[in-house]
Amino acid sequence: MKRKLLLLFALTALGCATLSAQARKGLKINEVMVVNDSNAVDEYGRHAAWIELFNSNYAAMEISSVFLTNDTTCKTLYPVPLGDVKTKIPKRQHVVFWADNRPTDGTFHTTFTLDPSKPNTIAIYDADGKTLIDCVTVPVMKPGQSYARKVDGVGAKEGEAEEDYWSVRDGSESEGDYITPGSANKIKGTNPKIDEFKEKDENGFAMTITAMGIVFSALILLSICFYIISRFNASRSKRKKMEAQGIDHAQLHPDEQPEGDSGEEIAAIVMALHDHLDAHDRESSVLTINKVRKAYSPWSSHIYTLRQMPNRR
Amino acid sequence: MAGNIGQFWELTGFANATWQHLVMLAVGLFFIWLAIKKDFEPMLLVPIGFGMLIGNIPFNPDAGLEIGIYEEGSVLNILYNGVSAGWYPPLIFLGIGAMTDFTALIANPKLMLVGASAQFGIFGAYMVALLLGFMPDQAGSIAIIGGADGPTAIFLSSKLAPNLMGAIAVSAYSYMALVPVIQPPIMRLLTTKNERVIKMKPARAVAQSEKIIFPIVGLLLTCFVVPSGIPLLGMLFFGNLLRECGVTTRLAKTASNALTDVVTILLGMTVGASTQASTFLTKETIFIFALGFMAFIIASASGVIFVKFFNLFLPKNKKINPLIGNAGVSAVPMSSRISNNLGLEYDPSNYLLMHAMGPNVAGVIGSAVAAGVLLGFLA
Repeated sequence: MKRKLLLLFALTALGCATLSAQARKGLKINEVMVVNDSNAVDEYGRHAAWIELFNSNYAAMEISSVFLTNDTTCKTLYPVPLGDVKTKIPKRQHVVFWADNRPTDGTFHTTFTLDPSKPNTIAIYDADGKTLIDCVTVPVMKPGQSYARKVDGVGAKEGEAEEDYWSVRDGSESEGDYITPGSANKIKGTNPKIDEFKEKDENGFAMTITAMGIVFSALILLSICFYIISRFNASRSKRKKMEAQGIDHAQLHPDEQPEGDSGEEIAAIVMALHDHLDAHDRESSVLTINKVRKAYSPWSSHIYTLRQMPNRR
Repeated sequence: MAGNIGQFWELTGFANATWQHLVMLAVGLFFIWLAIKKDFEPMLLVPIGFGMLIGNIPFNPDAGLEIGIYEEGSVLNILYNGVSAGWYPPLIFLGIGAMTDFTALIANPKLMLVGASAQFGIFGAYMVALLLGFMPDQAGSIAIIGGADGPTAIFLSSKLAPNLMGAIAVSAYSYMALVPVIQPPIMRLLTTKNERVIKMKPARAVAQSEKIIFPIVGLLLTCFVVPSGIPLLGMLFFGNLLRECGVTTRLAKTASNALTDVVTILLGMTVGASTQASTFLTKETIFIFALGFMAFIIASASGVIFVKFFNLFLPKNKKINPLIGNAGVSAVPMSSRISNNLGLEYDPSNYLLMHAMGPNVAGVIGSAVAAGVLLGFLA
């Protein structure tokens, strides 16, 4: 019993740890500006290098106690402080950290700066100080340029080059070059899925064929599955029936094997038995008379529920 | 004194009433009349109709009374959250699962295809809605009316087109109530006299173990194909497992009675109240009602036509009566009853009810799958 409890406890702990790691995995470095001379200003009105983080999960994420660093040999360079409500990032939202080495200025001011003369590797480590959540190497940039994911939170899959998912932005008006600290890297006026359907499937024909195909295949799968289960069940019940009658299943020709009983057959057999045994149900004609007993309750008491007449003297 | 009375007058419904309010109040009263006098889906139309009255009593929105359904923090707004965030429909599906006996479907699994074919109504209406200029997400929400499944329509429209949800929900429930009026002419039109008297083989007895396996396998198979259907299908099959497993009778009873009743009351009332004149009486609403009607007709017709087509491949003694084709829409058990009544009209010894229940419950699964597909593609 003790062993089982211990095992259960260990499994629960492991599950919780995995869940937490999975949840934090959704935290992404989304955009970085190394030399900020004319872009966003912090709450003190100063220009400083900034790092934008994005919560790619569809649930809010608490990021206090994760570590932000620009030195992978020192993974715990800047711990995001506890106790600030702003460290809870809503689903699919962003926060900006200022890499200005002024941690006393607030939660979002790190203990390090970024070096404009060389590529900067920026990483986020989980609260244990070991588990890497996300990492990016920002190339050498000109003043006013940012290095950003093309689409929020989307990075390379295994075997793909991470650089293909990032772009250097100079803030020009052309599409895809906006610098967007604290907001989405790709500005979406409308839902791209809807636009695509509107453009490529104008009359809805492709959607109809695809969707009906999916509906049919789901129900055909279910139908086949239950056809197999019913066949298996029917043969099992036949075998059981023959075993009960002492018939050897293997010796019978397939045509001689009894068929499964339908509900109607069962009803007919029961009615025949009922008739044969003359087992009339007499209960319906028995009149049962029980003494009605009312338990006393103050709620039903006349003394309490009726208004008492005033005494006349 | 006069100032106070004037101020009070400005807050009254009389001072704020417009003709749109009066029209919507009349519609609400009509729904209540239909439910009480004509017995058309009273469980739904009474809450919706009364909700319409609640939602369309005129008041001054600038008075800051926080009483309107769309005013954040108002009581009605809190109750409406179950609709806008889409958590009432899965609870209703839990109740439907706990109420539904899938025996007829398990006994004759090929009837699932009839339920699937009726979903053509949804996608036929989708194409027409696109032609009328609706965006694909709006078209999908409107088209789901063809599934004849109120909770599914509300669930999908709350995700894809929240601004049209009131009209879609009212339209879906109205047509569900009008199933006895809409379906029989279509069924008569598409079938011959000989087809209407086809006698189907009685369904085999279904073992309890099959009934227990059904919700588990059903959930796994359908949700692996369409994960976006998990909220509806998950709750539907969960409710059914509670019913069939035999060890959770209390839970099944609560899900199918008390819980469903509570959610139906809240859902119906808040959907009704959401049909405020200013947002409801638009050109789009008229289109939605027309498209919903068309979707319903296509769904009923495609079920019947599919059975006729299916019969071409079935041996003579295993033919299906096409009168059960209409039951592919998921208006349970109303459309099955219509199949049965129409069957009895042509042959007083031909009881189709249990046969029709197969495609009927398959229609519930089919429309939830179709909603999942639309949600997956368009959300």
